[in-house]
Amino acid sequence: MALLSRVADRMYWAARYIERAEDSARVLRSYGDVLADLPTSSSRWSPLVSISGSGVKLPAVAGSDESQVAQFLIADREHANSIVNAVESCRENLRTCREVLPREAWQTVNDLSIYVRGAAVTSVERRRRDRFLARVVDESRRLDGVMISTITRDEVFEMWRLGRYIERADMTTRVLGVRAASLLALPPGTVDEFAEVQWMGVLRSLSALQMYQRATRGPIEGPAVVRFLLFDHRFPRSVAGCLAEMRTSILRLPEYSTVLGAVEAADRQLRRSRPAADDGVALDAAMDDVQLALARLDNVMHEQYVVH
Amino acid sequence: VDELLEDDGSPRPISRELIELLHRIGLDDVRERQRVSDLEILTMGISFTVYSDGQNIDRAWPFDIIPRLIDGDEWSMVERGLAQRLRALNHFIDDIYNDRRIIADGIFPAELLDDSANYRPECRGVHPKFGVWAHISGSDLVRAGDGLLYVLEDNLRVPSGVSYVLENRAIAKRTFPELFQRYRIRPVDAYTDELNRLLSSLAPDGRREPCIVVLTPGIFNSAYFEHSFLAQRMGAELVEGQDLVVGDDECVYMRTIQGLERVDVIYRRIDDLFIDPEAFLPDSMLGVAGLMRAWKAGNVGIANAPGAGVADDKVVYAWVPDMIRYYLGEDPLIPNVPTYRCMYDDEREHVLANLGDLVLKPANESGGYGIVIGDRASADELEAAAESIRADPRNWVAQPILDLSTGPTLVADGIEPRHLDLRPFILTGESSYVTAGGLTRVALTKGSLVVNSSQGGGSKDTWIVDTNHLSAHQPAQSQWQSQSQAPSQSQSVSD
Repeated sequence: MALLSRVADRMYWAARYIERAEDSARVLRSYGDVLADLPTSSSRWSPLVSISGSGVKLPAVAGSDESQVAQFLIADREHANSIVNAVESCRENLRTCREVLPREAWQTVNDLSIYVRGAAVTSVERRRRDRFLARVVDESRRLDGVMISTITRDEVFEMWRLGRYIERADMTTRVLGVRAASLLALPPGTVDEFAEVQWMGVLRSLSALQMYQRATRGPIEGPAVVRFLLFDHRFPRSVAGCLAEMRTSILRLPEYSTVLGAVEAADRQLRRSRPAADDGVALDAAMDDVQLALARLDNVMHEQYVVH
Repeated sequence: VDELLEDDGSPRPISRELIELLHRIGLDDVRERQRVSDLEILTMGISFTVYSDGQNIDRAWPFDIIPRLIDGDEWSMVERGLAQRLRALNHFIDDIYNDRRIIADGIFPAELLDDSANYRPECRGVHPKFGVWAHISGSDLVRAGDGLLYVLEDNLRVPSGVSYVLENRAIAKRTFPELFQRYRIRPVDAYTDELNRLLSSLAPDGRREPCIVVLTPGIFNSAYFEHSFLAQRMGAELVEGQDLVVGDDECVYMRTIQGLERVDVIYRRIDDLFIDPEAFLPDSMLGVAGLMRAWKAGNVGIANAPGAGVADDKVVYAWVPDMIRYYLGEDPLIPNVPTYRCMYDDEREHVLANLGDLVLKPANESGGYGIVIGDRASADELEAAAESIRADPRNWVAQPILDLSTGPTLVADGIEPRHLDLRPFILTGESSYVTAGGLTRVALTKGSLVVNSSQGGGSKDTWIVDTNHLSAHQPAQSQWQSQSQAPSQSQSVSD
């Protein structure tokens, strides 16, 4: 039996939302960690708001206040991409396609949603935050594990994978666009003694530190980090790696030619950003272009499989 | 009467093992098991939706862990009685939309159809497969003070609750594993398979491996959990109206990622009036334009058939025993509750003179809404009800206030008796199937008779226990036979 368009759409969005919650949790965790190592003067929380890429803007003053930013990213009900809302959106999407889901998968997201609803507000506080964020990441991983180990490799599963990877690719470009670009943009000749700490933070926020070290066997240098996160297709959170996974999924779906075309276009856009790895301003712009290509891919999939 | 206890408070033979266990483990352990089961319901996401304060709230399903036990011999008679009842009701619906013999023969008054809220003239002349219209039904049973089970009402439109029967059992097995070893309890899991088989049989002729869908009004419906559950258990698609389209060939299709795919059978969980804006309410967003055309052309099976609700009317209910005699030539195996029909002058006068001793029911409400219980209503409420009855007598019936049976239930103060009813589910197609037990609903408030989950009712698992090995127990069959010989009380009222 073919997959209902509406169900396909909801699986895809459920995957995007849970990935969004997980990625926000990772970024927020590592950021707090990095800032602890920096002198207070350079403690700035506003980049996190930019990374979350939401239309809602915090007041400029609030943008640098840790607890307000954490509140905004974790528990703000008005903020569509806050962790509490992203988890809830995932649950709502899955609640409307339970008939195609392994039961354990539903229970996992339901559990997480109960936990997040209860704990989000109190977890804004720094002391409790890390445990909360770690749990969000763990449960999201658990959900993936249930999917991978119990669901038939049919279109439902491919929609899930597509949602996961497009969201992940998008998040990687955001982290690079905002944080890496600002690090690379230091005037030539100035030495930021904390650069290495911060680049480590970038890697950590994408759970990429160890894999980077294994892959490069070298020191932590900005351009090498950017290249690893963009182009090392063996690393599952790199943009190239995400695109490769999406390509595999798309080839298993019906009538895929236009969708495949959009993935290839995103891939070309990605390769065009190669020279930008050394230059902060160019990198920021190049990441915007990749994000646009991903948005076009999202559009093409919607046209092909949902509204047609 | 109590389902589990004798009048002197000692356990009935059938419930001895259960009651002894409760005593042995003590109240603290019972509460602990209840807590674990509540938690399980929460994390399994077993919920129902209530509409309140302008919001749809997804609430955890209320479940009382102490089961309700019914003897297997008594149940076998109930099964036959329900199958009999649904056969007769289906004959009636088919007759009403076609030959109308029962009216011609003077058994059923034609004027009842004219203003029946659930009669659909659009269905005249349609012949669904097997002559069956109400494929999936739920009849509410109550045990009265005389110890007998009565049918309180038949739900022939879109009865819900069966998913909770299955979920309650799954939890009960984990709550009292030791009892499942001691008792022979009939399993309930077969229901979704039987439903699948029934729905498959409704496919247009020649369609192999028919495509079955469950049509839901969507996430905001109170029974959405169940729609999703049934689709999942049957491997069917859960669709909303927007997922379906009727083609120029008068066949129904669903929108998939590969384009349109033919649908053979629709288990619709949407009320008649909303299923097809072309035939019924033009502004319904829930249905599919052209569905009635496709159904009439025989290109899709619909369960329950549109129009089946004509027999799901608290007034028409009073004629069911007559239908059983008329169509089947049999006596009803399960009696009706005596019912006064306010459309008849003498019965109405009796009702108006005895308001305080009766339950007053509007003909076409469900979920327990609109019901007035005489001895609990204020004088003003009774006067308002009398007013409504005089204004629209056809749409009111009255029944004696039944002393509903109780079952021991865990409440704040310990284990106390609470009133119960029972909704078994009946599948009717080429043959019949009745769930082993059904959904026992319990009024959690002391003394209350309102069991609806939307109004604070809870539920219990229902165990049909085969007791042949319990030497002390005598089968209750003799009671049933004597009952089925006697004319039903509603009969004597109407004559």
